[in-house]
Amino acid sequence: LCRGGLAERLCRLQNRERSAISFWRHQCISDAKIPSDKSGVLIVKILEIFEECTIQVAICQQLEQSPATLSPEDVVINAEEPILKVLFTRETAAHLKSRPQDVIHIYPPWQKLLLRNADVPVIMNTYFSQKVLLSEYSEAREKTCGLTKMLIRKNIISLAQTFRLDDLDDELHQKSSDNQQVACAPQIRNNCNLKQHPLAQSAVNDSLLEMVESQGAVGWREAQVQVVIQRVYCLPARQGYRSHIQGNKPLYKPMSNGGMFCRLCLLVQDAYGMFSEVQLQSLSSTDDIEQYCRRWEGKFCWLAGMKILQRTTRGRRGYNVFVISSLSVPPLIPPSAKSKSISMTTNLPPPSFCYILTVRSGEVHVEVDEEEQISNLYQPPAVHGLKEILRIDGCNKRCSFGAQVLYLRLQTKHSVPINQREILLFVTDSTLQDVVHMIPKVVAVAVTASCVLSTDIIEALSVASRLVFFKDALWGNGKIICVERTVLLLQKPLLCSAAGADLSELTGPVRLDELDSTTQANSICALRGTVVGVNESTAFSWPTCDRCGNGKLELCPQDRELLYCKQCSEVVVTPVLKMQLEVFLSCPSRSQSTVKVKVWQCPGLFVLLTMLLFTQTYEVQSVMGKEVGLLNCYVHSVTSHPNCVALEEIVLL
Amino acid sequence: VPDELLLGLKFIFGPCAVPALDLVDQRSVTRVTSPSGRTLYQVLGSSGKLYTCYSSCHFCTCPAFEFSVLQKSESLLCKHILAVYLSRAVGACQELSVSEEQLTSILLAEEEEEG
Repeated sequence: LCRGGLAERLCRLQNRERSAISFWRHQCISDAKIPSDKSGVLIVKILEIFEECTIQVAICQQLEQSPATLSPEDVVINAEEPILKVLFTRETAAHLKSRPQDVIHIYPPWQKLLLRNADVPVIMNTYFSQKVLLSEYSEAREKTCGLTKMLIRKNIISLAQTFRLDDLDDELHQKSSDNQQVACAPQIRNNCNLKQHPLAQSAVNDSLLEMVESQGAVGWREAQVQVVIQRVYCLPARQGYRSHIQGNKPLYKPMSNGGMFCRLCLLVQDAYGMFSEVQLQSLSSTDDIEQYCRRWEGKFCWLAGMKILQRTTRGRRGYNVFVISSLSVPPLIPPSAKSKSISMTTNLPPPSFCYILTVRSGEVHVEVDEEEQISNLYQPPAVHGLKEILRIDGCNKRCSFGAQVLYLRLQTKHSVPINQREILLFVTDSTLQDVVHMIPKVVAVAVTASCVLSTDIIEALSVASRLVFFKDALWGNGKIICVERTVLLLQKPLLCSAAGADLSELTGPVRLDELDSTTQANSICALRGTVVGVNESTAFSWPTCDRCGNGKLELCPQDRELLYCKQCSEVVVTPVLKMQLEVFLSCPSRSQSTVKVKVWQCPGLFVLLTMLLFTQTYEVQSVMGKEVGLLNCYVHSVTSHPNCVALEEIVLL
Repeated sequence: VPDELLLGLKFIFGPCAVPALDLVDQRSVTRVTSPSGRTLYQVLGSSGKLYTCYSSCHFCTCPAFEFSVLQKSESLLCKHILAVYLSRAVGACQELSVSEEQLTSILLAEEEEEG
């Protein structure tokens, strides 16, 4: 600030004024009755109150003397008493809680302003004001009135006034009210909603922005906003889930404290297109997320008294731009308004910010109307076949599809803790299976730790091949990933726009792509070939539990001769012996590479394995040239120098 | 300028008052005129950005105006508009004469930004 400038002066004056005001307020509270015979005190009786641009305007009548000795009924409005327009700041108004018919004492220093073209003088700088309670009657009334909400009319200055368009033709005025301008509509609604009888019920609003920005205002806590639930999903909490992988078969075990914890969230949209993410209660993984999706998506919901956690903007964490950008913004004037026809198109960009709200603890603030039918504003996920998704241009697009899960693999990166490891799902659907060439038959879907999976899904996935519905997965860089806000469901949602995608289970055997020059690491394929070599040192056998397949059996503490399975918590009486061996194959489909496969179940090599393991010898002749195939394998790595592909035999779900 | 007047400004315009006075102190307001008589005001904001305010009606190109005044109807005006009025009142406007084309380009430049 400039030294000696006006701004600096005002700052100093302001500080002095502020301390005077707080001193006054303190005095008001402690000393209920300040004698009103000091000179300079303005005594007014409020006739009408309204709010304009955060200033409270009270039309008052100036009284000659304080009607302390008269009861309220006796005070007759003398028509000759001068009318004043008294202005109060927001803080003073909140302190006074004035109503029509109240008598206010305004102590100096206050200021009087006489405008050139107005009759009514304006009183300002009314910081030192106090309401006078005339008798026990008014005191009692004060107490009861203080409990009910007092909604004060808000006088919105129309744009026409702001831009001084008042002198235009009336005809133009008519037109502008019919015109579908953005700014007018919410203002008209404001006027309608807020012009209320003081004891009216709280209005139901349909603007999230308004609700968020009027936070703290009178009546805010009870005001409800009507929104449409576009999506229901879970966001992970700090704990993850624990999983085990035994040999080739992954097993999932819920954490001892009852499971994974996540927070149920709703992505809601109001009638004006504004989005918000509402974080609700914590769920444990045993809760059925799917059920919430089914019951709530597409329905109307009323939010009240939300707490604002964050206001995120595009590009920052928490702004789920990808889900939001897959949803369009509806026309700015909701169809329920009294407008004839809406000629505006709906190709509006998604808003650049989004509020994250949460419920206040202990209070129920979200009411979902489950009975009502699905709202027109609901935008169900658009389902496509995998073939179509692979062809989508661009990056980071949300996509939804149904697919059969063929194989599951846990990504084992030792630097990453087990509950944050990625799961790789290999999926296919009829659009991929029916195609001949150039498009893979199986696609890998990476499920990151931030995507919450319910125990139902996890169990279902590890048991058998299932049709799983993926909602709002992310497609980009040639990969499909399930991240935060992606939901995996076991059942097709009731309402989804399936653009020619067939969501039924696959009939007939599933075919995998055959190993060829385009095969990449971390994929699955089928191969056939002939044995050209055996890596004897890799021959290995181990007992597994016949009940659960656990390969990490231990010696029984009581009897060291027996084996014990920790997962089943029982002794394993008849363990199944598993064997593994690495063989080199020559595959005609990829003849240039050395193909190294870890086999363990291949029937053709069973004899070889047994012989190797138990006799340490084998008949070379019987093995070399032996035909192997068709083997389903997981590709561990593909190297070009040396030209080698390392695979592992797998069993599809 | 008497103290009461300054306090009165503060009362009515609230948080805009001190920044507006600061802009006046720093002579940030320029009245731009063209030979045809058209005028507009340019205010050098605190961030260094130049905002255009119209003289015929309440308008400023700053985001605060768009938000607090137009959208939320929370303020009467922004600090730039207030600075324009105050500068006019105390005679602290800088004067700048430009050609018609230049004035047009200033006005059009705002439009482009909006679009």
